[in-house]
Amino acid sequence: MAEALAQALINGVIAGTILAVPALGFTAIFAVLNYPNFAIGALATVGAYAGWVGNTAFGLPMAAALPVAFLAAALAGLAVQWMAVKPLEAAGALMMAIASLAAGLVLENMLRFGFGNELRGFDLPLLRDWRFGAFRVGPQQVENFVLALACMALLWAFLRFSRTGRAMRAVADNRDLALLRGVDPVRVAAVTVAVGAGLAGMGGMLVGLDTSVDPLVGTRLVLSIFAAAVLGGLGSIPGAVAGAIAIGVAEEVAVLAFNPAYRLVVGFVAILAVLTLRPSGLFGARAG
Amino acid sequence: MTALAVDALSGGYAAADHVVKGVSLAVAPGELLCVIGPNGAGKSTVLKLLTGLLRPRAGRVALDGRDVTGLSPRRMIEAGLVLVPQERNVFGTLTVEENLAMGCFLDPRRARARMAAVTERFPLLAERRRQAARTLSGGQRQILAMGQALMSEPRVLLLDEPTAGLSPKAADDLFALVRATAESGVAVLMVEQNALQAMQVSDRALVLVDGRNAHEGPAPALARDPEIRRLFLGGRGAGRMDASGTGRETQR
Repeated sequence: MAEALAQALINGVIAGTILAVPALGFTAIFAVLNYPNFAIGALATVGAYAGWVGNTAFGLPMAAALPVAFLAAALAGLAVQWMAVKPLEAAGALMMAIASLAAGLVLENMLRFGFGNELRGFDLPLLRDWRFGAFRVGPQQVENFVLALACMALLWAFLRFSRTGRAMRAVADNRDLALLRGVDPVRVAAVTVAVGAGLAGMGGMLVGLDTSVDPLVGTRLVLSIFAAAVLGGLGSIPGAVAGAIAIGVAEEVAVLAFNPAYRLVVGFVAILAVLTLRPSGLFGARAG
Repeated sequence: MTALAVDALSGGYAAADHVVKGVSLAVAPGELLCVIGPNGAGKSTVLKLLTGLLRPRAGRVALDGRDVTGLSPRRMIEAGLVLVPQERNVFGTLTVEENLAMGCFLDPRRARARMAAVTERFPLLAERRRQAARTLSGGQRQILAMGQALMSEPRVLLLDEPTAGLSPKAADDLFALVRATAESGVAVLMVEQNALQAMQVSDRALVLVDGRNAHEGPAPALARDPEIRRLFLGGRGAGRMDASGTGRETQR
C-alpha cells in the first residue's frame, strides 16, 4: 500500500507539473484581464491537434512540436478574445466568462468537424518503463515532465526579464498606475491572451502525449485547471504551479483510494474547500 | 518662462457635471506650488485633467509654452509631466528596482543611467532594490513612488497628497524631499490636505474652492492671512478642514 501511494505521488507530481502549464495560462489571463477564460480547455485541444499534426505529418520532434502548439493556440486565443469576449467587455466579468465558454464550444466542434471523433496518437517510439526498485516511470512521462518544466522556466524568464513581461506584471498589480507610466493596456492585454492561450496549447499537447488526442482532450482538463488556479489564488503565478501540483497529486491518490470515477470530484472538493476556508487561495493577495 | 501653465481649465467625470470649473495656475522650474482647499474642491480632479486620465472640457494646458491640452497619459509623460497618485502609487508585487524601471517604461535605453541618478538621490532605494515594494513602510513607499516618477526626468512633477497616512515624522521627511526635488530644478505641483505644513515648505499656494481659484499668493504670506486661517486652518487645528467639506473627495 505504501508503495502504491508512493507511485501515485510520483505520477501525481508529474501530472500536476503538466497541469501547471495551462493553469499558468488561465491565471495570467485572469490577472491581467480580470475574467476567467473558460475557452482554455478548447484552446488546449487546439494546441494538442497542432502539435499532433506537426509531429505526425511533418515529423517534428516533441520539443519542436511544442512551439507549433503554442502558436496555434495563441492565434485561436486571440480570435476568441477579439470575436467573442471583447465585444462583451462592458457587460462585466461574468458575461466575458460566459462568452469564452461559448467560444470554447464553437472551437471544440470546429476541431471535431475537421479531425473527427477518433483518438489520435503521437508518433512515439515504444519504450520500456524505467524501474527503480518497486517504482516505474515511463521515459515519455519524464520527457513530458522536463518539457513542462522548460515551458515554465521560459515563462518565468519572460515575466522576470523582458520589458513586456514586466509590463504584464505591472498591469496585473496596478492597472491605473501602469497607465500613468505609459503602458498601453490594449497591447498588454493582447500579449497576455496570446501567451496564456499558448501555454494552454502546450499543456494540451503534453496531456495528449501522455494519453491521446481527441476533441475533448482539453475540455476534460478545465475543471482541474480552474481548481488549480483557485487553490493557488486566482491571478497568482506561483500559486498556479503549487495548486496544479496539489491537484495532480490529489487526483492520483483519489484514484488509488476510491473508484476512478471519483477523480472528477477532487477538483470540485478543492474549489469548495478553498471558497469556504480561504477564498483568496494559498498565494492570493486579492480576496473576492 | 513657466514650465506648466494652466488657463481656465474645466472638466470632470460627467459631461454635464464639471468638478473643475475654471482653474488657472502656473509653475516655474524650481518652484513648489501647493494646491489646497476643502474636500470636494476639485484638487485631485485637476491632477487627472492634467495627466490626461480625464479629458478637459475647456481651457488650455501648456508645457514650456507648448500646447498639450487633451493629450493622452502616454503623450503627457513624453512631454515631461508625471503624476504620483495618492493611493496605490507603487507596484506592490514588483521589486523596488522593477518599480523604478517602470518609471522609465517609455524610454528603456535610459533606464540604467536614470536608475543610477535616482538611487544616488534616494540611497534607501538602492539598499532595498531587491525587495518587493509591498514590504516597504508607508514613508519608504512614498519615496519609491517619487523615485519612480523622477525616473523619466520630468519637467513637471504632480504630487497628490504625498503625506496622506504618514506619521508626522515621515511627513516632515517627505516634505523635505519634495522641497529638495523642486530645488533641483523641477516644477512641482503638490496637492495637500495638510494645508498649514504644505504652505510652510512651498513657494506659492493656490486655494481652490468649489472648482475655482479662490486665493493665490506667496505661501508664507497666505499662511498668515486671517481669512485663509479661518477658512482652512481654523481655531481648532487642521482637523477642521476635513469637517468643512461636503464629503470625501472621491479617489476611485
